[in-house]
Amino acid sequence: MNPEVKRHKWLAWLWALVVCALLGHNAYLWVVQRIVPDTDILALLPVQERDRVLQESFTHMVDAAQQRVIVLVGAAEWNDAKRAADAYNAVLATQPGVLEAVKLSDETQGDWLAPFQKHSVALLTAQQEAQLRSASPQFWTDAALAKLYSAFSGPKLGAFRDDPFGLFSGWVQERAQETPVRPRDDKLFVADGERQYVLMPLTMRAPAFSMTAQQTVVPLLERAKQAALKAAPQAKVITAGVVLHASAASSQAEGEMSTIGLGSLAGIVLLTWFTFRSLRPIALVLLSIGIGFLGSLSVCWLLFGRIHLLTLVFGASLIGVAQDYGIYFLCNRLSADPAEGSVRLLKRLLPGLCLTLLAAVIGYMGLGFTPFPGLRHMAVFSAVGLVFAWLTVVCWFPLLVSGGTLTTGALAHRYGATLAHWPQARLNARTLVIAALFVAVAGFGWSRLGVNDDIRSLQNPPKHLIDDQIKLSKLLDAPTPVQYFLVRGASAEIVLQREEELKRRLDPLIAAKRIGGYQAMSNWVPSVRTQLERRALIDSKLLAPGGPLDAVAKAIEEDSAWSAATRAHLMAPRAPLTPAEFLKTPPSEPWRHLWLGDIDGVHASIVALRGMSMAALPELRRAGEGMEGVQWVDKVAEISSVLGRYRQYMGWVVLGAYAVVFALLYPRYRGNAWRVLAPSAVASIATLAVLGLTGQALQLFHVLALMLLLGVVVDYGIFMQEHPGRRNTTPWLAVGLSAANTLLAFGLLGLSRTPALQAFGLTMLIGTTLAWLLVPYFANTKENEHA
Amino acid sequence: MKRLIFALAIGAACAVAGASAPIAKIQALLAKPTVLCGRFDQTKHLAGMKKPLASNGRFCVVAGKGVLWRTLKPFPNTLRLTRDEIVSFQGERVAMRLEAKQEPTVRMINSVLFSLLSGDLGQLETLFEVDGGVEGSTWNVALKARQPALAKAIGAISLDGGAYVKNIQIVEASGDKTFIVFSEIKTGEGAITLEEAALL
Repeated sequence: MNPEVKRHKWLAWLWALVVCALLGHNAYLWVVQRIVPDTDILALLPVQERDRVLQESFTHMVDAAQQRVIVLVGAAEWNDAKRAADAYNAVLATQPGVLEAVKLSDETQGDWLAPFQKHSVALLTAQQEAQLRSASPQFWTDAALAKLYSAFSGPKLGAFRDDPFGLFSGWVQERAQETPVRPRDDKLFVADGERQYVLMPLTMRAPAFSMTAQQTVVPLLERAKQAALKAAPQAKVITAGVVLHASAASSQAEGEMSTIGLGSLAGIVLLTWFTFRSLRPIALVLLSIGIGFLGSLSVCWLLFGRIHLLTLVFGASLIGVAQDYGIYFLCNRLSADPAEGSVRLLKRLLPGLCLTLLAAVIGYMGLGFTPFPGLRHMAVFSAVGLVFAWLTVVCWFPLLVSGGTLTTGALAHRYGATLAHWPQARLNARTLVIAALFVAVAGFGWSRLGVNDDIRSLQNPPKHLIDDQIKLSKLLDAPTPVQYFLVRGASAEIVLQREEELKRRLDPLIAAKRIGGYQAMSNWVPSVRTQLERRALIDSKLLAPGGPLDAVAKAIEEDSAWSAATRAHLMAPRAPLTPAEFLKTPPSEPWRHLWLGDIDGVHASIVALRGMSMAALPELRRAGEGMEGVQWVDKVAEISSVLGRYRQYMGWVVLGAYAVVFALLYPRYRGNAWRVLAPSAVASIATLAVLGLTGQALQLFHVLALMLLLGVVVDYGIFMQEHPGRRNTTPWLAVGLSAANTLLAFGLLGLSRTPALQAFGLTMLIGTTLAWLLVPYFANTKENEHA
Repeated sequence: MKRLIFALAIGAACAVAGASAPIAKIQALLAKPTVLCGRFDQTKHLAGMKKPLASNGRFCVVAGKGVLWRTLKPFPNTLRLTRDEIVSFQGERVAMRLEAKQEPTVRMINSVLFSLLSGDLGQLETLFEVDGGVEGSTWNVALKARQPALAKAIGAISLDGGAYVKNIQIVEASGDKTFIVFSEIKTGEGAITLEEAALL
């Protein structure tokens, strides 16, 4: 045995040790730790340094929403709806502790109003306040008398002297209208034109994105729904919750992962069989891919302590790249002289192999330049996988495949023969015409290319979930949790005053029907300043001697003592109502999330908007402009703008990567280095043009795919450049096998229903196809050796 | 009666199968006209006030349309209850409006008042325990809200009458009492004036 082979044996044993450690670690992860991949799409989004108050406000608005499942059970008849709802609840009760009904306070109306009753003089609607300033004393006298004499003049709370002018009941009515939901028969009731619904807010114990939640909650909800429909066949059940979206996304990703993984494997197996007429190469290629995959899993888990399902999906497509090394070696083994030892052959191939690995790793590492944790995981996962697969090829293949073990299949022969007839890039008139045409078409395509960075285009929830969501927001008139005003101030009082100022600016938008309304702490607890102003206003306009109160007393033949007593009763000195006091009472329960309280010495609150249309967004943004301590928060726009920034940024990274790879290739290929990069560059330009011509909007994931395309296609250029000339068809065979497999892997990714992955896959599909066809066109035909 | 509107917003309907015996008898005594109009005289005794407050006016109950309650003296005020809203007018001005869109209970309130004025006890039984007796061609019933919250808000209601409801008495928890007497009852198409028809 020559020393070269001996050395290589040591290397192989060493690698075997590493692989054993890998297998052990993976077994531990899957069997002992029972790891489960993340499915939270938000984990893929950038984590930003933000200020605590903003973070806190988001937690308040979104986290609460995340753990909620809202169920509406409706029927034309209330009794049917109730029966269906009871059947629904009975099923939920079979698994206690999974979903908990949000408790209803069985407060009677009187108790509900008690906290406000004593502050009633300070609680006015904006309309009442305006009326107090403008209307005549006679108007108020008439209003009070009509209220006294008429049989029913609307809600009457407490005795006449508690609210002689009906102001407090008007305020209560306005508050009641902040939500269309009403208690009825110990249930919550809401209705539209067609049906009456029982509303059941539920809280989940397990985090919405945990697998446990999805595996227990979703089936339980489904069973409950069936029971409700059985109890009342005409009933309609509407369910909404983050957990449903999470579960839909993860089951979709799981299905796609297995499809893509299996599809590309099947493709590889078939192709290898037709090329080598042997099962051994298949086993070898699968071995290298498998070790690459397990290695990535181990390293990612050690580095990040978690793995995202989408990382695995993306990792499944890695198969398309990891195979290149094995295929390259095997193709060369096939065509090399059987007398040449495999270790020696490897030595001959090593420079090219090293270059391909480096170029691909650089390509994948481009993903690591993004602020998205999920993409960073994908970058590490991919790069590590490639290194492990590559090392497996280098350490083991030469010892496992000796000369003469492989025979060429018919497919390889026929395919190899095509190279001789391939057109070539030469500096002549025809090439110039083609180039000019290409530039014209590509230019036209590029000019039509729009961009779309909307975060919502990254996800594609099933239609029935979206429909339910829309129906639910219409019924409940609930505010969106991702767009709101954040108000800050040095004290609770300042926050309330700023809220009131902001609401005055929003009122015109309500009048113009741009928004339905707003929810704010100051709706319930006006600032102390406002409370004092209103007390003074009511006192001077209504209760002062000679005013409407005296006129009412005279009309009903009461004396001045009665009106003095009534005035004293109403104007009894009280400490103003404060948020702290309000938050202790049951009526504050639905509004507690609006008050952030004291965070590091800053007081903050949320003003949420009801019935908002997307069209009103710019106006809303403007409404808060220039106000001290008021900030418009739009999570959707924020994330979308981050995506946009990174799309542009990644565009530069791609160009940078071309420069880096060129620098990497130049010392070896000199004047021919451009030939290696030309196919991926031209294919990328053409791909973008195709996207433009087909009316697709460019998004980050297209650009990321172009990055990957560089990593993949550079391999082909290198294979061809390592063996210049057209007599040796081996590299062309390696290119064909790799490209076909890559297309299988990424082409299947293009079938994904997740828009981000689809964009990625589609770009790879078009790009790889074009590059494959272009590689021989740009390849060098002169058979000179490298320096 | 005033409290009814707000109280019903938290009211409860418990379906009761079948009407009890006296109620069936009373139902048999009552006429069921599609249009019923007449005069009402109302007296209120409010806690903390020396004198009762007297008012009168006209009312109309039109099946399938709603209820019109017009206080004429001493202070004109019109209340209109229809399927979709409850509106109170002071002269031309809308003093109060409750829309079914915003207050789903408007429909329920409307149906209860309609039942109350037309004596549809079967309907009332869903919300109240009805206790009644019949003497010859007259009857009387006491209504007790099935829900404590509702009872607290509107107190006790009693009705009596013959072919039509004659008297309604409401005693509230706060001590306020309201008596309403109906008279000059007319039924059929001719009962409602043009002005009233236009209002409803």
